[in-house]
Amino acid sequence: MDYIYSVVILVGLSIILASSFNLSIGYGGLISIAHPVFYAIGAYASALLSRDAGVPVVVSIFVGALVALVASVMVALPSLRVSGDYLMIASIGFQLGVLELIKNVNWTGGAGGLTNIPAFIAPTFGREAYVLLVLIAAALTILIIYRIAHGPIGRAMSAMRDDELAFMALGRNATSLKVGIFALGSGIAGFAGALYAHYFRYLTPEQFDILQSSALLTMVVVGGIRTAWGPVIGAVVLQVLPQAIAFLDLPTSFLGPLQGLLFTGLVLIFMFVRPQGLVSAGAVWRPLRRSGAA
Amino acid sequence: MSGTLKVRGLNKSFGGIVVADTIDLDLHAGKVLGLIGPNGAGKTSLFNLISGIVRPESGTVELDDKMLNRLAVHKRARLGLSRTWQHVRLFPSLTVLDNLLIAPREYSADRLLSSLLLPARSARSEEGTLERARGVLTLTGLESVTETPAVDLTYGQQKLVGLARALMNEPRCLLLDEPMAGVEGQAYDIIKKVIRTLTDRGVAVCVVEHNVAFIRNLCDEGVFMFAGKVLARGSVEDLIADPRLTELYFGT
Repeated sequence: MDYIYSVVILVGLSIILASSFNLSIGYGGLISIAHPVFYAIGAYASALLSRDAGVPVVVSIFVGALVALVASVMVALPSLRVSGDYLMIASIGFQLGVLELIKNVNWTGGAGGLTNIPAFIAPTFGREAYVLLVLIAAALTILIIYRIAHGPIGRAMSAMRDDELAFMALGRNATSLKVGIFALGSGIAGFAGALYAHYFRYLTPEQFDILQSSALLTMVVVGGIRTAWGPVIGAVVLQVLPQAIAFLDLPTSFLGPLQGLLFTGLVLIFMFVRPQGLVSAGAVWRPLRRSGAA
Repeated sequence: MSGTLKVRGLNKSFGGIVVADTIDLDLHAGKVLGLIGPNGAGKTSLFNLISGIVRPESGTVELDDKMLNRLAVHKRARLGLSRTWQHVRLFPSLTVLDNLLIAPREYSADRLLSSLLLPARSARSEEGTLERARGVLTLTGLESVTETPAVDLTYGQQKLVGLARALMNEPRCLLLDEPMAGVEGQAYDIIKKVIRTLTDRGVAVCVVEHNVAFIRNLCDEGVFMFAGKVLARGSVEDLIADPRLTELYFGT
């Protein structure tokens, strides 16, 4: 049963990560693949605050998300003021730098990993309660991002992606919109990281490397970029498939490469066969509802 | 809504090409100024300098005695400086209505945090904007294409939407870049009517246009530009009658 709980929690967290990544890279058009670093920052910040500073976990989870949000603003603000292209470079540099830092200082547990992270909810209410918590968080993430994407902010993001100069000449502040969207997406990733830390109670820097970036990108692209359900489907498929393959009676020497092939193979196949992903986004932006619309 | 725009000593060159050479320009409330000159004279560049898309090497731009020089593009727009584009630049992924709803002075999603935390306030502001947009759509005769994606419009309709969108922020000063290029029939008359409506409300308008009949018909005054310089200013009739300018316009 514990295995099933772990898989469901990983699927739930992937849904949160893929949806929030879709917010910034899909709806926001902000090209950065460093999403896992904010997941890491949220996880480590909440773990360290609760373990070493005695902050209650219910507080540290939110502080973790906030730290990830602030860190993302510090990366995005200087690069987005210049141009969108710089965000890609700056964020990858930031991802590599933070992971190196985690590996090389003592207080993060170094490359060996951070252990003894305080548990949350599960000891008192059982693991089922934690599963429920993660699923509620995932559902809320989908709902919030859906509402943003189809509200005034979504309209603004759509216009900005179409023509940034015309957007600015109409009085809209493109930089603050981009930084805000990036910060929100990263803050949600940080929140997911904190939820991960207090369930699995063990963190290593490798979990958040470029490989994780490509897995997330695959979830969003295969599922369907700029749709509410695409990243959800992508997250479920790409979390469950590798687990399912593990049940096949295959030698481990074959299993490892096969899982790697699955990710890259899927992206390649989709690029040729269905570039819009499993769920395809409409060409025209639609609002949630419009009172008195013709 | 009345506004005045004052440009003084504007200079800008790209590499060796001078696009603005010590330009002085005044736009007055309720008046239409026509910018005339051959292609490459620096007319669109002047619009880019005024709206803040290009920064000048020297010189000043003032709107209603407020210095705009250090303000970003979006801040100038929020003070009531509006413009259209020669190649329209609508948002193709939005409907006509949503193209307009993006453009009020105060947009509900400008303050990201409050629009996330106070959705009710954001909804009220959207309501007000929607009301305004419907008014502008009526004025520009676009009611029938309200829900049509911008990408599906005819070129003339696109030009009208570009103008309608620029009206959404209650401009004090409006810069129109070739509003009539590629436009005929009904749209032509609507654009003329809209500009008259605006000047009646005291908006200062500046038009770049090659359509001589339109310039004659609508402009109170003209300015002739060539190679980044203002060569002459005066009544449109005088400018058109000047053989020296005609030669520059059509080449020798």
